[in-house]
Amino acid sequence: MAVMTYIEAISKGMWEEMERDESVFLMGEDIGEYGGAFKATKGFQQHFGEDRVIDTVLAEAAIIGAATGAALVGMRPIAEMQFADFVTCGFNQLVTNAAKVHYRWHLSVPMVVRLPSGGYIHGGPYHSASPEGWFFHVPGLKIVAPSTPYDAKGLLKAAVRDNNPVLFLEYKYLYRRIKDEVPDTDYLVELGKGKVTRHGNDVVIFTYGSTHHQSLEAAELVSKSDGVESMVVDLRTLCPLDKELIFVSVKSTGKVLIVHEDTLTGGIGGEVAALISEHAFQYLDAPIMRLASLDTPVPFAPPLEEFNLPDTSKIVAGIRKLSSY
Amino acid sequence: MPVSTEELKPLRTTPPVLSNQNRVELYYYMRLTRECDNAILRLYKQGKMVGGAYTGKGNEATAVGSAFALKKHDYIFPLHRDLGAHLVKGQSLRNIFLQLLGRGNSFTGGRDGTAHYADPSLKIYGNVSHLAAMIPVAVGVALASRMRKEHAVVMSYIGDGGSSLGEFHEGMNMAAVMKLPFVLIIENNQYAYSTPTSKQFAAQRLSDRALGYGVPGITIDGTDVVKVYEACRKAVDRARMGGGPSLIETITMRMHGHSASDDASYVPKRMVEDWERKDPISRFEKILTNDRVLNETVMLQMNKKISAAIEDAVQFALESPYPQGGDGAGGVYST
Amino acid sequence: MARVEVVMPQMGESIAEGTIVKWHKKVGDDIKKDETILEISTDKVDSEIPSPAAGVLSEIVVNEQETVAVQTVIAYLETDGDVVTKETSKETAPTSEMPKVTAESESVTPEITVSKGRERVVPVVQPLERPVAGRFYSPLVMNIARTEGVSMSELERIPGSGTDGRVTKKDILTYVEAKKLGAITLGAPVSPVPTPGAPLERAVGVVAKEVEVAELRKKYPAPQHDILQMSTVLQKMAEHMVKSVHTSPHVEAIHEVDMTNIVKHRNQHAVEFEKKEGFKLTFTPYIVDAVVKAIKKYPLVNSSVEGDKIIKKNFVNLGIAVASDNGLIVPVVKHAEEKNFLGLARAVNDLASRTRNKKLTPEDVQGGTFTISNFGVFGTMVGTPIINQPQVAILGTGAIKKRVVVIDDAIAIRSTAYFTLSFDHRIVDGALGGMFLEEIVQKLQNFDTSMKF
Repeated sequence: MAVMTYIEAISKGMWEEMERDESVFLMGEDIGEYGGAFKATKGFQQHFGEDRVIDTVLAEAAIIGAATGAALVGMRPIAEMQFADFVTCGFNQLVTNAAKVHYRWHLSVPMVVRLPSGGYIHGGPYHSASPEGWFFHVPGLKIVAPSTPYDAKGLLKAAVRDNNPVLFLEYKYLYRRIKDEVPDTDYLVELGKGKVTRHGNDVVIFTYGSTHHQSLEAAELVSKSDGVESMVVDLRTLCPLDKELIFVSVKSTGKVLIVHEDTLTGGIGGEVAALISEHAFQYLDAPIMRLASLDTPVPFAPPLEEFNLPDTSKIVAGIRKLSSY
Repeated sequence: MPVSTEELKPLRTTPPVLSNQNRVELYYYMRLTRECDNAILRLYKQGKMVGGAYTGKGNEATAVGSAFALKKHDYIFPLHRDLGAHLVKGQSLRNIFLQLLGRGNSFTGGRDGTAHYADPSLKIYGNVSHLAAMIPVAVGVALASRMRKEHAVVMSYIGDGGSSLGEFHEGMNMAAVMKLPFVLIIENNQYAYSTPTSKQFAAQRLSDRALGYGVPGITIDGTDVVKVYEACRKAVDRARMGGGPSLIETITMRMHGHSASDDASYVPKRMVEDWERKDPISRFEKILTNDRVLNETVMLQMNKKISAAIEDAVQFALESPYPQGGDGAGGVYST
Repeated sequence: MARVEVVMPQMGESIAEGTIVKWHKKVGDDIKKDETILEISTDKVDSEIPSPAAGVLSEIVVNEQETVAVQTVIAYLETDGDVVTKETSKETAPTSEMPKVTAESESVTPEITVSKGRERVVPVVQPLERPVAGRFYSPLVMNIARTEGVSMSELERIPGSGTDGRVTKKDILTYVEAKKLGAITLGAPVSPVPTPGAPLERAVGVVAKEVEVAELRKKYPAPQHDILQMSTVLQKMAEHMVKSVHTSPHVEAIHEVDMTNIVKHRNQHAVEFEKKEGFKLTFTPYIVDAVVKAIKKYPLVNSSVEGDKIIKKNFVNLGIAVASDNGLIVPVVKHAEEKNFLGLARAVNDLASRTRNKKLTPEDVQGGTFTISNFGVFGTMVGTPIINQPQVAILGTGAIKKRVVVIDDAIAIRSTAYFTLSFDHRIVDGALGGMFLEEIVQKLQNFDTSMKF
């Protein structure tokens, strides 16, 4: 057991998988000798060689397309997008090729695309994307979004071993801000399973990524000030959603707050809300509430960014509004 | 010396210099391709086809000659107009027609049509409708193949229209930088649907782009099956030896509309007549007859064999049932 | 000879109709396969159409210059073969080369097991009146009101602590709790009263462990004590019973059932039935019949639990507990849902006689999905049976006795019995258990006495 940061846990997960399975390899821009824009692959090329840690041309469609091709014939590539924002350049490869291969050909494309996601870093409109909404609608892709070092390593390893294209959202804001005890063992966190990270009977908060930490903080604050106990559920995998956990949590609380960093309209929260009203309507004691970014690109200047993105105080207000309903 | 059609079988390996038997094989596959296309058009006009009908009349020499340069363990990423390449690589007619007719026992189980199938046993990976999209995928296969030291080559195809897409550039450039065993054939058949090449690119030749990628590029007559074979063979050998990718532009003519529902009224009549004289099959037929490797008897035999094979495949496919409604409801994810 | 259709082809994905430009052939002409027989024109393209088969053009349905929808029959050919007119064969697909993928792995409407049970329950509960204008009740509050038997008029008297005086979940639960404690007077509750006592405590430690007789003798000297060996059947019974109370949180609901009609019917037909069938008409088939029908209405009681999944059985294998010389045996009527009354009577008799004659096969006692225990035969009025694992409910039937009952404020003498349903509260809640049992009661009380054999 070692205490490590979120990004160290991701690196550790990749390292272990590369040691374990020769078919696992990395490709991406600046990931080799330089070790990647965020240093997630620092020291990898020196250890595993240029053949398995491939510095690519600056071309996202080629990176994702080539990963798809390699996976199609049995390799297990991990492709890094330097920032999640740039995955749009490879959108066609993910949606047209990777996602549809198994349905059409009954062949597997076991690949992971790592997506350094999210804001709170003053990155502006092109370095702050939350890309999940773009892909959530595409049958054939899986999406995971860990919020803790423990889950980051376990989910990364599970994603590598999954036989589908998996989009791995990692939160730049969390990279070096959170630390956690992470076992040295070869453990996995199963895809498609959420986790209750705080218990409570008054309100349930469904969230993931950076806003998971804000939600926990907000839940503690409201507990101390108002005596309102919120259950917090870290969804961890966005596709497929852990529907059973969602329904069970709704049943035990009756009031739902959905929090995510991605923009509101067409976000994951809309689907979660729809699922609940379709399948757990009889357990609702209040309208489902969503708290998300404003429907704008993520702005650059700090006050603008703070205003548009969710934060702890906004979540506190949301819990209060719901609990008093 | 005339060669008996009994000796014709799908390609396995060929020598750099073509024997007479090889030449008859090339002729046979071009004929087979043409007759299949004719059968497809008939089915279409009889209302038996599912979806559109896309044929490759005029492209037979390119499809057949290029695939002939591959070995069994080489990978091929053909387009919908490269039926001949599928056949040379060993695909059965029954499988082709099952796939075209969306039957339940086809490769895709009716989930996709036309040539959009994959047959890993023959290392055939079909195209998708987004034309250049498979180029980076083919490049990835070349990468994986080299990592695993398979000594295989990946051959991919694109049209003059598809060459305008970004993925053409990204894939070709990546393959060049990484010196991957990759050969890209640009089938310049003068039209992308109704768009002539003058509205598609300003370069003199599409193979000129090779210079920009730092790879060898060549433009050849795509209706001369032997020339196509020889150029492709060189590129394939070079790729196999570690020399990196090549770009081969084959000049052909799409002798039909984009699909069977396109009357191609935008093509000047003169142009069609000119190209008709360069028909890849009748041209090669004359050469083989002159060289006395082909005669009336052999051709008659061959035609009979082809008709019987196509008739069998068409009947087999027509009698095969469609998949049932719910068959396409799952299977999105691999387990 | 066969008749082959010539249809208007679809020349382009968006094309809906085509016009006949010219018929190249007349009725009576011989036609080769793939020979051009007509020309058509559409919005996209003009084309010559090859014949789908060889034969004689026997009828032209659509004339030149007429426009028809694609796939319309425009002519008929007479051919020599036995060609089917259209290849719309519906036979089952041959083994496809690509493995078939079933939709099961990805359920289209994921169902949560809890809500599934509820969904089956809700429709039959007396619906609440619509709320009167003024106050909004959330789906959850309405749901709690329904299952806890809180009427609309009661609901409207509950003080609300939410926004604009809304009744919250907490408010109604507090009210329901108070009602249960008797703080509020109410009519008959919907949910059954759980049996007092803890079956778990009772059961713990009762496991048939092998022990030395000599050791026991020291503690229990003869002749004051006899030490008997437990038979295999007894040991199995002990094991099953202990396991069951450990596995399932048992809840018992007891309903009274008026058996007067059944008793009458049976007495009327007993002699004639025995003559015809060669065995006695008992009450068991009446009860079995009612149970099978009630299961069809509430199939969740006919299921088992595996981990976090519920296995709902779409067939009814009804176990009937029978006392034998050696101990309890539960032979099973297989596929009871497929049998009519007579079939059930015969099956029950067959099993009972084979139990007595020790002719049961291992298959006879396996695969049960629901069990009935008729302890009434011993005079027991009320009993609380233990669930036969992995089932989730068991019906115990008490002795039928004449009792004084009140019907429409008049005193009457009726043949009644008490039926107990023990159910597994992991998946069957009080509402479902109560409604299922009441369904059995209703089926028996409203038995069609005109039924003949």
